[in-house]
Amino acid sequence: MALLRESYLLLWKDLLLELRRRESLLTMFFFGTLLLFVFHFSFDLAPERVAEMAPALLWLAFLFTGTLGLAQLFQPERENHCLDALLLSPLDRGALFLAKSCLNLVLMIVVEIVVIPLFWILFNLRSWNLLPQLFLVTLLGTIGFCVLGTITSAITLRARARELLLPLVLFPLMIPVILATIRCMENVLRTGEFGDAIPWLRLLLSFDVIFLTVGVLIFDRVIEN
Amino acid sequence: MHIIVENLAKAYGLLWALKDLNFALKPGEFVAILGPKGAGKTTLLRILAGLVSPTAGSVKLDGATLSDGATALRTKIGFLTPADHLYDNLTVSENLYFFTSLYHQQKNSHAIDQALQQVNLADRADEYAANLSSGMKCRLSIAKWQLLEPELLLLDEPYGVLDGGGVDVLEKFLQGQCAMGRIVVVASHHVSRVLKLSSRAVILNRGRLTFDEIKQQPWPNFDKAFGEFLPQGETWRS
Repeated sequence: MALLRESYLLLWKDLLLELRRRESLLTMFFFGTLLLFVFHFSFDLAPERVAEMAPALLWLAFLFTGTLGLAQLFQPERENHCLDALLLSPLDRGALFLAKSCLNLVLMIVVEIVVIPLFWILFNLRSWNLLPQLFLVTLLGTIGFCVLGTITSAITLRARARELLLPLVLFPLMIPVILATIRCMENVLRTGEFGDAIPWLRLLLSFDVIFLTVGVLIFDRVIEN
Repeated sequence: MHIIVENLAKAYGLLWALKDLNFALKPGEFVAILGPKGAGKTTLLRILAGLVSPTAGSVKLDGATLSDGATALRTKIGFLTPADHLYDNLTVSENLYFFTSLYHQQKNSHAIDQALQQVNLADRADEYAANLSSGMKCRLSIAKWQLLEPELLLLDEPYGVLDGGGVDVLEKFLQGQCAMGRIVVVASHHVSRVLKLSSRAVILNRGRLTFDEIKQQPWPNFDKAFGEFLPQGETWRS
């Protein structure tokens, strides 16, 4: 219970700071929509190619916008040595991990709620009825991204070239999540149901649960060293 | 709280910031940590605060080793660095609410108002910390630790940013802490100010403890030890 209470307190603080600064959300939102327009002018998404192209393009946009958010994740803690203030306190380090993962998840979901329908409009796609399934897959993929992203963001926190290092460390580790998400979305777009993609969905779910648990357990070592 | 520092050493790469430190701190002590720049004062405070792990040796608080990462011990340690450890985009009262909640000592608005009154910041309660001067931020940190009541309070260069009124607030707070049996450790270059309040002085030089004595009046040993860091021809008289 203490873990959840502390996570809630930290998330309250982070959301309040984000609402006041609006740096991460605005940057992610503009970058996400900008990428969609670039894709729109670069690719001709014929109806028969939607299933193979759309998931990859969408996830490319999410990966880049999400990485922007991750780069700013510990910004409030870097100012005035506030990370020291948190580490000095009796706070469970796992709560810090949960709060930061949730913050990034909230920001990414807000961006995705705008970006996915915009993608459908820009590419004149007609499969609006599939959006709930696609949102579910995207949510699972986003959880995996945020959980792993928070760990890698903390690992690179004290590095000199952290903005460069973060994607270099994160993207290779993200391959299972990206692959599973794209395969699931592709299947939904092609057949209208999860069907053959159920094993990929299970992989995605397992990845989320495993890294969420690992993150809570090891975050003290990650953030203190 | 009793603190025992045994064979403490800290290396950054090949450089020893601290080496072979041994001392003990008793309840109610006010210890001044002095020494030239780069002597290892801040490193020592950060190790005592549990923010940095020692390369060798240990710090024991009531018999428990700090490096074990026991969270219960952390509630007993306060670290005041002027103008730091505050969120700029939270208001003055939100900062106090957040940090007291973090220490499981959630205070009501009356307690927070009272603490702010004591540091003359009551009229700034709803302002962002970013809008405060460094001296005001230091006073806000004093209010924070006044509410959190740590048994060991570490201060790193607290005098540099404070004006006359701020120094009075700080000194009254520190004297109150010692009177309640808490340990206060201050690292500072404002030697005469910190010696006025302290009950003991420790001098560090190049990471080694070169002097450690209970305060006396007059204090020829201190004058001699501290005189070594003064420009040639100058002397120090306590």
